[in-house]
Amino acid sequence: MISLSDFLFLLRGLPVTVSISFLAFAIGFILGIPLTFLRLYTPKYSANVAEAYVKLFLGIPVLVFMLFFYFGLGKYVAIFRSPFLSAVAALGFRSGAYQSQIFKTAMNSIPRDQLLAAKALGMNKLQTLRYIILPQAFIVALPGLGSEIALLIKDSSYSFILGVLDLTMHADILRRAHKLFFEPYLIAAFLYIALTFPVANYLDKLGSKLNKKYALR
Amino acid sequence: MCASEIVLEGKKIGKKYGKLEVLRGISIRIKRGETKVIIGPSGSGKSTLLRILGLLEPPTKGTVIFKGMDVYASNKLNLNKIRSKIGFVFQQPSLFRHLTALDNVKLGLKVVRKMRDDEAKRKALEALRLVHMEEWIDHYPAQLSGGQQQRVAIARALAMDPDVLLMDEPTASLDIELTWEVIEVMEELAKKGITMLVVTHEIPFAKEVANEICFMSEGMIHECDIPENLLRNPKTPRAKAFLKRLIGEFGGR
Amino acid sequence: MSSFSWLSWWSPFIFKGFLMTLKMSAAGLTGGFVLGSLLALGDVYGGKITKAVVNAYVEFFRGSPLIVQLLMFYYGIPALTGYEWSAVTAGAITLMLNSAAYQKGYFKGAMESIPKDQLMAARSLGMSTRQIVLHIVLPQTYRIVIPAWSNEFVSLTKSTSALLIIGIMELTATAMTISALTFKPLQVYSVTAIIYFIWIYFALKIIEYIYERIRIPGLGETKTL
Ligand SMILES: Nc1ncnc2c1ncn2[C@@H]1O[C@H](COP(=O)(O)OP(=O)(O)O)[C@@H](O)[C@H]1O
Ligand SMILES: [Mg+2]
Repeated sequence: MISLSDFLFLLRGLPVTVSISFLAFAIGFILGIPLTFLRLYTPKYSANVAEAYVKLFLGIPVLVFMLFFYFGLGKYVAIFRSPFLSAVAALGFRSGAYQSQIFKTAMNSIPRDQLLAAKALGMNKLQTLRYIILPQAFIVALPGLGSEIALLIKDSSYSFILGVLDLTMHADILRRAHKLFFEPYLIAAFLYIALTFPVANYLDKLGSKLNKKYALR
Repeated sequence: MCASEIVLEGKKIGKKYGKLEVLRGISIRIKRGETKVIIGPSGSGKSTLLRILGLLEPPTKGTVIFKGMDVYASNKLNLNKIRSKIGFVFQQPSLFRHLTALDNVKLGLKVVRKMRDDEAKRKALEALRLVHMEEWIDHYPAQLSGGQQQRVAIARALAMDPDVLLMDEPTASLDIELTWEVIEVMEELAKKGITMLVVTHEIPFAKEVANEICFMSEGMIHECDIPENLLRNPKTPRAKAFLKRLIGEFGGR
Repeated sequence: MSSFSWLSWWSPFIFKGFLMTLKMSAAGLTGGFVLGSLLALGDVYGGKITKAVVNAYVEFFRGSPLIVQLLMFYYGIPALTGYEWSAVTAGAITLMLNSAAYQKGYFKGAMESIPKDQLMAARSLGMSTRQIVLHIVLPQTYRIVIPAWSNEFVSLTKSTSALLIIGIMELTATAMTISALTFKPLQVYSVTAIIYFIWIYFALKIIEYIYERIRIPGLGETKTL
C-alpha cells in the first residue's frame, strides 16, 4: 500500500500541473480572441491565415508540437530549452485554436433576428458586437471553456514525456523507486479528477444557469 | 363471427401519476366489429386510458381483459404478443424516421411476426393500399405530409391484423386541409368492419360511423350512447356544456 | 542541414509507425464504439444504479489523463492480477476504455434526440426492448451521431501518440527514435506532423462521404438556427 509520505510526494507534482494548465489557458485566451476576430470580421486573406492556424492544431497531436519545440527549436530559441516552457507553449498555442473554436461557435449562436433588430435601432457593427453579441456569446462559451480547462489539465501530463516534474512524473517516480505499479497512478488519476471535475462542472452549471436566466437557448 | 364477442375490455381502471389521479374507475367494452368514439375535454385522461388499453402502461387499479384473458392476472403472459394484436395510432405521427413508408409497415411483420421478406412485403403493400398510400412506399417520413404519415401509421397498425385498433386523436396534429384524407380512410375502415376505439373530436366522423360515443371528463366516463342521442340530447350537464362549445365552434362542418 | 536524404532510408520505419497508429486508433475506436453504445443505452434507458455506474465510469475516464490510464493499466494489471500483457494489448484496451467514455456522450446525445413516440409505437407493435434497441434506436443513433462522432475520431487519433510512454512504436515514438538517431528533429517532427495532418483531414472527408451516403432525409437535422 501507498504510505502517507508517498501521497505527500505525489502532491508535490500538483503545482507544476496546475501552473502549466493555467499558463497555457492564459496564452490560449490571449491568442483565441484575436484569432476569432480575424476569422469572423476580417478580409479573406487574414481570415484564411487564422483558419489555417486553427486547422493545424486540430489536425496534429499536441505531443508532436511539444517535441518539435523542445528538441527541434530548443537549439535556436532560448525559451524552448526549458521543457516546462515548451510544454506550456505547445498547449497554449493549441488552446488558442480550441478557444477560438469555442468563441466562434458561441458568437455564431446569436440568432440573426437580434442582429437585424440592432441594425434597426441604428447600431453600428462595433456597437452590435459590444452590446449584443459579446455579452451573450460569453455566456454561451462558458461550458466550452470549462471543458477546455479540463482538457489542458489532463494534457499537461504530456509534459512528463519531456521530463517535466508534473503530477504524472511524480507517480512514475513512485513506481520506479518503490515498485508501486498501480496505486500511484490511481491516486494521480483521482487528483486529476479532483482538478478537472470542479472546473468543468462549475462552468457548465454557471453557463446553463445564466443561459436560463437570459433565456438564451 | 359472434356478433357480441368482446375483444377488449377495461375493468374499473384507475390510474395515478404520483398524487394526480388521472383515471377514476373506468369500465369500457369494445365489441368485435364496432366503432366506439371517445370525446371529452383535454386533460380528462383519454390518452392515458388508450395507453392502458393498448398495454403501453399498466393501470394502478383494475385490469384489462383481451379476448376474455385478464392480461395482468399472471405475469407469465407475454404482453408483447398481445400488444401486437392491438393496433395503436398516436396523435403525433410516430413513424420510424429512418425507414421508408414500406419498411415502416414491414418492420413489425418481420421482427414480431417473423415473416419472410416477400411475405411481409405483400402484406405491407396490402395495408398501404387500404390507406391509399401505395404510390408513396419508397418515401421517408420527412418526405410525407402529416396526413400521409398518419395514413402510413394506420397501415403499420393494420398490417399486423389487430383484433382492435386504438386511435388517439389521429387528426389533432394535422392542418385542417389534411384532416379529411385521414378521416376518409378511418371511415372506410369502420365500414369494412374493423374494430376501433377512436378518441376524436371530428363530429361528422362520429356521426357517420360510430356505433356509440362515450363522453369522458375528469377521469370518468359520464355517459355512452348512440351518436344521435349523445350529440343531440346529452344527459349529463358536463357533456351538454362540452358539446355546446364543441359543436358551437365547429357547427358549420 | 536541410537535406531530406534521411527520409528515404527511414521511410519504411515511418510507414510502420503510421500503420501502428492506424491499428491502435482503429482498435480504440471500434472497441469504444461497442462499449460506448452500451454505456449510452445504460445511461438513457437504465435504472438509477445503472446510470450511477455509467456516470462514475465516464467521470473517471474523462476526468483523468490518458497517459496516467495507460501507465496504470500497463503496469498495474500485471502487478495486481499476475496476468502479463503486451504493451500493444494494454494500450489497445486502455484506448478502448477511454474512447468509450467519450463516445458514450455522443451516442447519448443522439439517442435522446429520438422522439419518445417512436419507442411507444414500436412497443405497440409488440416489439421487445431488445428489438426496439436493435431496429429503432441504434440505426437512428448511428446515423445522427456521425458529425459529432468525427470529433472523437480526430481526438483519439491524436491521443494515440501517448502510447509511446508504454513503448509502443507508433508514429510519434518512431519519430522520436529517428530524430535521436539523425539529429534532425525539426525535419523529422515536421514530416510527422504533416502525416498526422493529411491523414486526419483525409479521413474526415471519408467520414463525411459516408455520412452523406447513408443519411436519410429529415433524420437528425437539427432545428436550431
Ligand atoms: N406520464 C405522465 N406523467 C404524469 N402525468 C401525466 C402523464 N401522462 C398524462 N399525465 C396527466 O394526466 C392528465 C390526463 O392526460 P391525458 O390522458 O393526456 O388527457 P387527454 O388525452 O384527455 O388530454 C393530464 O393532467 C396530464 O398532465
Ligand atoms: Mg390526449
